[in-house]
Amino acid sequence: MAANSPAAAEQYNFDIVKKFLVMAIVWAVVGMLVGVYIASELAWPFLNFDSPYISFGRFRPVHTGAVIFGFGGSALFATSYYVVQRTCQTRLFAPGLATFTFWGWQAIIVLAALSYVTGYSQGREYAEMEWPIDILIEIVWIAYMAVYIGTLMMRKQPHIYVANWFYLSFILATALLHTFNNIAIPVSLFTLKSYSLFSGPQDAMTQWWYGHNAVGFFLTAAFLGMMYYFVPKHAGRPVYSYRLSIVHFWALSFMYMWVGTHHLHWTALPDWASTLGAAFSIMLLLPSWGGMINGIMTLSGAWDKLRTDPIMRFMILALSFYGMSTFEGPMMSLKDVNALSHYTDWTVGHVHSGALGWVAMISFGAMYHMIPKLWNTPMYSVKLINMHFWLATIGVLLYITAMWISGISQGLMWRAFDDFGNLQYSFVESVAAMHPFYAMRAIGGMFYLTGMVLMAYNCYMTIRQGVRAADTAGQTAPAAA
Amino acid sequence: MLKNFKHERLETNAGLLLVATMLSISVGGLVEIAPLFLIDDTMEKVDGVRPYTPLESRGRDIYIREGCYTCHSQMIRPFRDEALRYGHYSLAAESKYDHPFQWGSKRTGPDLARVGGKYSNEWQVQHLIQPKSVVPESVMPNYPWLMSPLDYADVGDRLRALRTTGVPYSLSQAEYDANVKQFGAEVAKTLHIPDAQKNLVAQAQEGNYDGDRAIVTEMDGLVAYLQVLGTMVDFSKYKPEDLVKYR
Amino acid sequence: MADSAQNQGVQTTGHVWDETLQEWNNPLPVWWTYSFYATIVFALVYWTFYPSWPFGKSFLPGMAQITYTNAQGQEESWHWNTRAKLLKETQEANAQQMPYYAKLMQTPFEQIGKDPELSSFVVSAGKVAFSDNCAACHQAGGAGKVGLFPNLADDDWIYGGSHEKIQETLVKGRRGYMPPFAEALDAAQIDALANYVLSLSGGQADAAKVATGKELFHSQTAACYYCHGDNAKGRQDVGAANLTDKVWLWADVPGAADAEGKLAAVKKVISGGMAKGVMPAWEGRLSPEQIKLLTVYVHELGGGK
Repeated sequence: MAANSPAAAEQYNFDIVKKFLVMAIVWAVVGMLVGVYIASELAWPFLNFDSPYISFGRFRPVHTGAVIFGFGGSALFATSYYVVQRTCQTRLFAPGLATFTFWGWQAIIVLAALSYVTGYSQGREYAEMEWPIDILIEIVWIAYMAVYIGTLMMRKQPHIYVANWFYLSFILATALLHTFNNIAIPVSLFTLKSYSLFSGPQDAMTQWWYGHNAVGFFLTAAFLGMMYYFVPKHAGRPVYSYRLSIVHFWALSFMYMWVGTHHLHWTALPDWASTLGAAFSIMLLLPSWGGMINGIMTLSGAWDKLRTDPIMRFMILALSFYGMSTFEGPMMSLKDVNALSHYTDWTVGHVHSGALGWVAMISFGAMYHMIPKLWNTPMYSVKLINMHFWLATIGVLLYITAMWISGISQGLMWRAFDDFGNLQYSFVESVAAMHPFYAMRAIGGMFYLTGMVLMAYNCYMTIRQGVRAADTAGQTAPAAA
Repeated sequence: MLKNFKHERLETNAGLLLVATMLSISVGGLVEIAPLFLIDDTMEKVDGVRPYTPLESRGRDIYIREGCYTCHSQMIRPFRDEALRYGHYSLAAESKYDHPFQWGSKRTGPDLARVGGKYSNEWQVQHLIQPKSVVPESVMPNYPWLMSPLDYADVGDRLRALRTTGVPYSLSQAEYDANVKQFGAEVAKTLHIPDAQKNLVAQAQEGNYDGDRAIVTEMDGLVAYLQVLGTMVDFSKYKPEDLVKYR
Repeated sequence: MADSAQNQGVQTTGHVWDETLQEWNNPLPVWWTYSFYATIVFALVYWTFYPSWPFGKSFLPGMAQITYTNAQGQEESWHWNTRAKLLKETQEANAQQMPYYAKLMQTPFEQIGKDPELSSFVVSAGKVAFSDNCAACHQAGGAGKVGLFPNLADDDWIYGGSHEKIQETLVKGRRGYMPPFAEALDAAQIDALANYVLSLSGGQADAAKVATGKELFHSQTAACYYCHGDNAKGRQDVGAANLTDKVWLWADVPGAADAEGKLAAVKKVISGGMAKGVMPAWEGRLSPEQIKLLTVYVHELGGGK
């Protein structure tokens, strides 16, 4: 295959892809480890150890930051740089700027984590980074935009491939969301502390417009871009329907931006706004499924590979979870369902079925596909990929089952009335009832993390063998010449 | 549907694709966010909501620093069970000085929107230091470090930043006078930035939140904040149907 | 199966990326298209039903209406919103519970226990109200916490255990206070007093010190008798504890390992005083009905007094 020839490595800038890919694995291990830890804190609170630095409230944004921006972000940088070069048949525009995005992005994740544990947070979910970090994100993102759009402009192919539409909309939307959601007034130029410009309902609306689209564009559109390259590429089959790509791309891009208000049903946010969010969430179901249909139908016909190829399994499972959580999401957006699910673990379970089931699994598939091509060597162990697959599957199933049960029981216990019309349970009873499920969730997380550690080991061994082979080739090459 | 328009034009022109995508993602936010500033009824017209005192404001900073919002909401929804458990549903106006809002998204612990005055200071202190000692079922971490001294050297700067966002803390005499008119003299005094440090210490001394008047601790600040949550609006002054009509 | 469909006359778009990437030109799946239309119809219905699109300084109110009773007792309708919905539901639920609440408010405290149905209602409502509001301090079952919050399940009441007194405590709250004696008395005097106080409830104490302590207790120097009474049985009107029973609140005597510890616990309270003992006022937070039923519930915790 041409991809494996030395020519491909020269044709494209793979160095930056490799860097981001390695860091994606590092952040996945770190982020999931912190995730398992905070999940365990909820099950066994002594694990907070009376330490401010690892107490749940400060540690939770470390988890979300490391997995969303560290793992997810690095995986997106890696794959988008890989995909845009290969589908445009050109090297990256401004490679120096691309390298800057790497160091800048890693610095952001590290600085954010350090600032949270030391007590600096803007107090708005998934946007907890304080203002200097926000500015750094802005700069890195503009650099990313320049590299990406510049590369698109330099393409040697008249048509822009569908994966790039999705990556592009993710880059643009993230810029828009990040900019408007982080308008804040710093206490002084020499402190990290700042206060958001908006307050109350306007602040809530802006935050969830951002918050849900961190899911919509960062964790969905971008990963659909990933899917649109790696699924057809790996299956060796054409994308099922070009027309479906078009319709679902535009519908998704347009509609996702409206649905954030479903996080604010029944709150002090005016009802008109929440209605818009609910309705757009329902209309978003089929556009979301467009991606799943295109992915699964592309894989269909290559079912035989499913028995032998664990990478295919990761992809098909990712698409299934994507389909499931994009069905569950609109249902939870209905006012009456949300009345039960909001504030409970059901939301947490929903997010993780998307994050562990879709985002992470499709990334694993993409990374296992890329690594042999980038380092020009087969994976160290296919057996370990298989084990990773099963550990991840068991982990995510345990996780979401636990959260479904605990979330729905919480919701039902809070609103339960007895025959006299009086509240049936006190709040602490609902807390006590959650314990077994919190333990089960932590165990599910441990399974998932174990799989991730196997992947890290497998990738490390693969890369080592690739580097060694390259060194040997490098040493013998001059002699041959 | 695609007959009249050739999608190819977008696919072959990166600039056009960029502009079209930008347009399609800009509409939602614009239509949902802008009207919240324009429609008057978004914020209910109720009396009593005032900016936080310097001590309460520092306490709020600690609430945010510790990530309390990751487990506690401050938003009572208009449901009968929540009314019975937590009290009157939250109004938008009650968080009009909340930069940022802290409505939360998860109730691992109970809602705190009206926790002010529900428990004694002693309970709050005991509970924050060791939650399980008073609530055996609790999964909340211990916060012993809150007994350390509160750093209030920059409280003036903090209030100044909040003033820039639109919270009516006063710097000039004219602003002060305006606050006297809006909130009454007693509250207006606590909102005067030049006196912020003095007022902070005085409130900590008088409130004696952590049971030790000798030093102002972070606990003083946090408990002062918790004790004011949800207490500013006197709901006996409003008919239920009046509040209905803001929505 | 899909494979054969794809090959039956369906072409690719003709573009190829990265050597192998292609796209079939399959039409939109019919079920997909119609389902998408269906969700659009759903959205339209949703928008006509609930408040939806903003325009100018207002918004489309939606066609759904909710009828509730206003403060003047008249029926009033407003477009569907979360608050109108709650108001209506609350009024319906209140109407359903009205018989119980009306009876609760009319029945004198002593009579409530004699009405089995009303008693069941009180327990049903009181259980969770107690757990959500009171148990954080007074603990499950009202067991209290030595050193912090009084036990409600025993017969010892600081401010009185009659229905009326409990109700007063709930409505207005309480603020306990004992002055510190560290400066007014010397160490020996405090030691003597502590011995006396321990002896009052049959605790181990030094006889000579008990005598000195007793004298001090009744003297003008310490003036303990002023609040705790001549017989040391306390004064409920000022919230001073009965020192002659074995119930301890502020001094952790039961938790002390030995006689030394018990003495130290008492001395600590005498020298340091006590400024905790704050019970919040529940008037305004809880309705008069809730306060009355909690009064009955709390009264019953200790078997009534």
